[in-house]
Amino acid sequence: MTAKGMRRLLLSGTTAVATFGVGGAAYAQTTSAGTIISNQANATYTVNGTPASVQSNLSTFVVDRKVNVTVAADPNTNTIVNLGQTNAVLSFRVTNNTNGTQDMLLTTSQILGAGGTGTDNYDVGNVRIYLDTNPNGQWDAQDQLVTYIDEMAPDASALVFVVADVPNTTTANYASVSLNAQVAIGGGTGAAGQALVATDINLLNQNADQDIVFADADTDGLLGYDAARNGQARAYLQYEVGARSANLSIVKSSTVITDGVNLIAPKAIPGATVQYCLTIQNSSLLVPATGITLTDVIPTNTTYVPGSIRIGGLGTGGVCILGGFPANDDGSPVLLSPYGGSFNGTTKTVTASIPSLLGSTSMAVSFQVVIN
Amino acid sequence: MRLHIAAAATAIVAITATAAAASGPLSLVSEIKSEKRVAAADGTTRIALVKADKIVPGDRVVFVLTYRNTGTQPIANLVLANPVPANIAYRAANPGSAAPELSVDGKTFGPLSGLRVATATGGTRAAAPDDVTTVRWRLVSPVAAGAQGQLAFQVVLK
Repeated sequence: MTAKGMRRLLLSGTTAVATFGVGGAAYAQTTSAGTIISNQANATYTVNGTPASVQSNLSTFVVDRKVNVTVAADPNTNTIVNLGQTNAVLSFRVTNNTNGTQDMLLTTSQILGAGGTGTDNYDVGNVRIYLDTNPNGQWDAQDQLVTYIDEMAPDASALVFVVADVPNTTTANYASVSLNAQVAIGGGTGAAGQALVATDINLLNQNADQDIVFADADTDGLLGYDAARNGQARAYLQYEVGARSANLSIVKSSTVITDGVNLIAPKAIPGATVQYCLTIQNSSLLVPATGITLTDVIPTNTTYVPGSIRIGGLGTGGVCILGGFPANDDGSPVLLSPYGGSFNGTTKTVTASIPSLLGSTSMAVSFQVVIN
Repeated sequence: MRLHIAAAATAIVAITATAAAASGPLSLVSEIKSEKRVAAADGTTRIALVKADKIVPGDRVVFVLTYRNTGTQPIANLVLANPVPANIAYRAANPGSAAPELSVDGKTFGPLSGLRVATATGGTRAAAPDDVTTVRWRLVSPVAAGAQGQLAFQVVLK
């Protein structure tokens, strides 16, 4: 053999060894727990030229249950909420990496482990867990309220929604909620199985039985609640209170409605009726402004026209297009009107209160005066 | 190719012959072992083979074959074959054991580097340890009466 040939052989030998060295290659489909693996060898030989053969015994073992579960925030972004928002959604993906069909017991916690990330200064209320039953990746009416995932096949994953209500606490910034999945016994359709318990490591001679081996990782660090090999997994997400201020603007304009003289193009002369139009605009996208109170003092040398307040009409940029709900001058509520309004004769102030103005919308308020 | 009669592993385990229909003079015992690290007296750790107990996918186990000539005549032309069971992937000869010949089809035997596997596209590719279907040893020297040996190979549970 030439030196070159020898070198090539050596190289190929090295490659082969390296391939052998790969120990626990991950297989896409793992062998199911409970499978019996049997090995049998055979031999042929001759004694004094007479051929014979023999089979070995059948050596067997039972594939044990390798329990592994993951929970991941999906997507891993904070959910931006508004104060007082109901049914705010966090979504998590639970994956069964066990070599068997399992139930997954689901629980939530708002206690931020020392290993959890971020800050947490309020708690959400009415926390519920839903399974994306349809499954369309969205929390909707078809999704089922659950406490566990039933009969998850090996390698199956499911989207789980945590739905909660945000309190109306002005100091609220971040609320961390974690979803924990614990591997439980599968097999009983429609009922949650008992949580699995790992087979005692000191028990010997269990190779005829199916042992339970926890192989899950620690999902939240040393200081977090989850631990490696506990048959559980946990992921954290936050409800983050978003914009605290809405960008409101008001435009005011006046129009002479009638002057008692000119039928067309009435002039602002004494005795003329003038309508003031105030349009209020919320320019913040998706952030509703709540509890808006609008006040306007009528000009001197004018007299308020009783009962002329209109609130909630269509209008933008200082142009009132449509009237809206009337308001009682004494401030008493008007049937069906969500708005409040009044005129204070002493301070000559028109007041309109608007409970809520959605983001990127505008609303009109108008009233009339007569020029003295 | 030269093959050695494997005066194989460190200590030859005492075999309780639960085994093989002892019609012939050759006793052949198959065992499944797993590796366990044990502390030796000198402070080092060494790998001991223990009875396979908790085996989950991805774990490595060792298939051990022990043969013994229980007769009075030497046994010649001994060929030991071990088909690789389902859900098991061949990895390597166990340290201390003679290297086996491998086959991906049960017909052609040889070192892995010389084996090829048909691909879906009609061509062939070099065989990987996962492709091995049968492991075989051919002993060139006869096994004397009363002599025994042990052969072993490592596999992984898929």
